[in-house]
Amino acid sequence: MIRVWSWLGLVAFLVAWGGIKIPWENQMARHQRLATLGFANPTSVALREKLGQGLALAALGGFRGLAANALMLEAHGAWEKKQWVRVRSNLEMATILQPRVALFWDLASWHMAWNAAVAAENFNGEPSETRRRIEARKWVEAGRELLERGTRAVPEKSILFQRLGDLYWQRLADYQAAASCYREALTKGDAPVFLERFVGYALAKAGDREAALEYFRNLRLSLGEHPDPERKPEVLDREIRRLEREIAEQRQGRVP
Amino acid sequence: MTAAWRRIRAVAANTFLEAVRQKVFAVLLVFGLVLLGGANYFAEFSFQEQFKFLKDLGYAAISLTGLLVGLLGAAQLIPAEIERRTILTALCRPLRRWEFVVGKYLGLVALLAVMLVLMAAVFWGVLFWKELQLTGIEAGDAAAVEAIRGEARDPRLWQAFLLIAAKLFVVSGLAVFFSTVATSTTFVVAMTLMVYLIGHLQGVAREQWLESGEALGWGLRVFLAAVTLFVPDFNAYSLIDEIVAGNNLAWRATLEVLAYSVVYVGVLLVAASWVFEGRDL
Repeated sequence: MIRVWSWLGLVAFLVAWGGIKIPWENQMARHQRLATLGFANPTSVALREKLGQGLALAALGGFRGLAANALMLEAHGAWEKKQWVRVRSNLEMATILQPRVALFWDLASWHMAWNAAVAAENFNGEPSETRRRIEARKWVEAGRELLERGTRAVPEKSILFQRLGDLYWQRLADYQAAASCYREALTKGDAPVFLERFVGYALAKAGDREAALEYFRNLRLSLGEHPDPERKPEVLDREIRRLEREIAEQRQGRVP
Repeated sequence: MTAAWRRIRAVAANTFLEAVRQKVFAVLLVFGLVLLGGANYFAEFSFQEQFKFLKDLGYAAISLTGLLVGLLGAAQLIPAEIERRTILTALCRPLRRWEFVVGKYLGLVALLAVMLVLMAAVFWGVLFWKELQLTGIEAGDAAAVEAIRGEARDPRLWQAFLLIAAKLFVVSGLAVFFSTVATSTTFVVAMTLMVYLIGHLQGVAREQWLESGEALGWGLRVFLAAVTLFVPDFNAYSLIDEIVAGNNLAWRATLEVLAYSVVYVGVLLVAASWVFEGRDL
């Protein structure tokens, strides 16, 4: 009888502790999300990543890093053999295991949008150029989709926004979208200094010279009278002069 | 209280010495070799990738070694003493059962702490060696050298190390709790490992239980409630991944997890003492 009471007492003690620990654990999870993702409540994206991550966590018992690295090595081997589907599946799995590692998203999208897409464009086995282009475009889209997900999983870093901008510029020729991505990257605080000029370059490349000129003028003004040489004021002055000249020529060339 | 502390210390010292005599430190040699081998294996990658691999490998090796030492050490603590009947000679002295349990746990923690410090020293040594190797290669590029130094001497690695230690101390507390219930070492190892694995999903179970309401069947709700109430949230320690990924992490988040671990260990020791008090020997 004493033993039964003792066990019941133990269960009551553990349930009481559970009552204390659940709000504590909830608060801890909220703080961790806030500290790492910048928001307190889980979004649908975070839930999606978390579910995959949670299952993997249970299976791997906290040794996800090693598994993700093994997948990355596997992908590297597949890349050397030009087995693009294997590259994609391994790297996608690595991003599920460690969605907060920007390096994985970056590498995965680079393999998709550049290496696999270029390989598809140059594939000798497909005589139709149209089909080769369609296939290449699929790989570029796969890379873009990975980077979109990556920017949601690591929203506080500039690198993936910058890469997405590069992808829009170099692989999709969508310069307005590239400018938006570079602008977003610049809000993150860890963006490289040269990126601030890329917004203007992208706007000019998109054909919106007026917007590019305004952007460069505002940027030049924000540097002040004694600008940091690393921000290359002479390059900004040169770009402003070039755009002013091009806009003037464009206006002169118009039929009145 | 001073007398109780003296008795606890004596049990802890005895447990520590017994464990050391089992040549447990030989695994350190294996750890060092694994790490050194791993450090060279990834030489064809960029330095960021190399450091990520090295840190993942180092932390996994520390965690795995610590987990094995903690699990096997705790599994040996009480069931083996009962089997050998040596527990009777210990408990016939003026020693309370809770003092015995706490002393055994602290002895195990001391062993783990010494091992962790030595493994961390080897780990930092390998990181330093890697830094020298890579800075030699990138000597001409000042920005790259700076970035390599930043990776190798990242002060956040201390946070990761403390989180690993805290996680291992909680796992050891669990193993000590199960060793007061069990009669065999296999049971202790199996139960602790099971709770360890489930603990990594506790956060998901907790959110499901709290947010699903009537949507789930009662059987599943009871299961989720049991996991939420009785299993520690080992996912809280996955902040280590943030550090390895090079993401910023406030000390506040780390300290919160450390405080949680300390309280959890306290609860486990109270529960273990409670069970052990009522046990027929």
